[in-house]
Amino acid sequence: MKVRRFLGAAALAIVAGAAQAASYPEPLANEPIPNVVELSAQYPASWVYVHDLHFNSLPDGRAAIVDVAADVRAFKGQVPVAQFGTLLPSTTRPEIYVAETFFSRMTRGERTDVITIWDKATLKPKGEIVLPGGKRGQFVTLRNSFQLTNGEKWALLFNFTPASSVSVIDIDARKILNEIDLPGCSLVYPTGPRGFTSLCADGTMTSIELDTAGKVAASSTSKPINDIDHDPMFMTPAMVGKTAWFATFKGNIHGLDLANAKARDLGVFQMPKEKTAEGEWRPGGWQVISADAAGRLYVLMNPAGKEGSHKDGGSEVWVVDPARKQRVARIPLQNPAVSVEVTAQSAPLLVASRSDGSLDVYDATSGAFQRTLAQVVHDPMTMTASR
Amino acid sequence: MSDMDSFAERAVRRVARRTSRRSLLTLIGGAITGAAVIPVLPVSRAVASTHGGGKSGLPPQTTGNPQDPGDQTQCDYWRYCAIDGFLCSCCGGTASACPPGTEMSPITWIGTCLNPADGRSYIISYNDCCGKSSCGRCLCNRNESDRPMVRPQSNNDINWCLGTESGSVYNCSTAVILGTALESK
Repeated sequence: MKVRRFLGAAALAIVAGAAQAASYPEPLANEPIPNVVELSAQYPASWVYVHDLHFNSLPDGRAAIVDVAADVRAFKGQVPVAQFGTLLPSTTRPEIYVAETFFSRMTRGERTDVITIWDKATLKPKGEIVLPGGKRGQFVTLRNSFQLTNGEKWALLFNFTPASSVSVIDIDARKILNEIDLPGCSLVYPTGPRGFTSLCADGTMTSIELDTAGKVAASSTSKPINDIDHDPMFMTPAMVGKTAWFATFKGNIHGLDLANAKARDLGVFQMPKEKTAEGEWRPGGWQVISADAAGRLYVLMNPAGKEGSHKDGGSEVWVVDPARKQRVARIPLQNPAVSVEVTAQSAPLLVASRSDGSLDVYDATSGAFQRTLAQVVHDPMTMTASR
Repeated sequence: MSDMDSFAERAVRRVARRTSRRSLLTLIGGAITGAAVIPVLPVSRAVASTHGGGKSGLPPQTTGNPQDPGDQTQCDYWRYCAIDGFLCSCCGGTASACPPGTEMSPITWIGTCLNPADGRSYIISYNDCCGKSSCGRCLCNRNESDRPMVRPQSNNDINWCLGTESGSVYNCSTAVILGTALESK
């Protein structure tokens, strides 16, 4: 019975197949194996690196490379970023640098800290710089733990053991030039042609100028500029040229001019203070501020702002013109967001990452919602637009 | 190296000059006893998500001691007032013990939490459990008085498993009673 039914079905399939083949005289072409996609060495400005902290499996962090202007095939590829790692794309070379940590038996064994150099076109590793001492700082990803200076020829890496220091690394020579102890200070904000500024626990900032060998040529510490107790600066600024614009917990915007060897405080201006039924509008999320190429700032805002709300995400983006010190637009989001990033396109796109790992994309100029890119990563903490 | 050393010395002196004694002690104390902090998925409770503070969905797990009330699988258990991470109670450990085979971080972030049953404020040590991959259950994230990475001893985004023998892989977080605080809130 079963055999007869099978034969009947097979006969039907043959008849149907013959009829369909008449419509398509040629079969599909054979396809080569192996076959692996390559990317262009220069990424379009609509591409964004979306770092996945992967909190449910921290040794296996990664970053997705996504075309946020595309509805189809938006997900371009992936780069591993292991164990609280930080990803840093070069803007001058076809390379992506990843500072990360491995253990020889994944969750145990010998620790290796390393900067892995990835080829943008093939997304294959093309080199590495091993970092001795097991010092690389591990915390929920902040872009300013790993930055470039000296015309992008050197990398600056923040170490935390919990003693703070910064390693100066020559990317071409694949070697560490110097390690600068920075007690009480955190992270690196590239400053001047060759150097950096760190923010310190006493509210000051310290600027370090480096000589051509990577040694400390000069250092200076400011008076306190960061009211850490009452209104601290979020650690990730929006960069407009060499000006860093930081949002603060209570909704102020704080500028630092990093163009010259010594950082200059540009002071603070207020965004509008607006009370709500749940508290007040305050910045909220992880990466809460970004900038477009025209220098406008985009700040992720939470309507239930209060002490302790600073990581709760946001439901609106406020657009601020720092030259006029004014809010120029409000963009209500389709879904609550964790982090925001704006592309460097002439018609910029605003990307809002969601806690489920999806991205919502908006026309940054009009605020119009464009698309959702689903299932991009697990935990989209930081995003870096291609430049 | 010499310029590094002299710079470090100058920097230490500068920081010492500018930092009040109390905050310097906090910083040093944090570095020695272990200031710690627990890695956290900083996404929203209020607005953006179900992560880090929602109901765990697990059956209640109580101590049975009326003086230590509440459900240790829930983020609102009294000892978790400054915790961040996966609750070890949900991961094979307890509120004060690490899961089998993990190593308790010697470095901890200390919080002060009010016990609603006896009205006393307790010093709670949030030791991380380390050496196995993320537990993935009962993520709890409370950020009151949390400050950014600029002040590490007040920041709950850092992976303090860096203080362990077995490496820096984070599994879950405990909330151990160290004693009563001198003053009740």
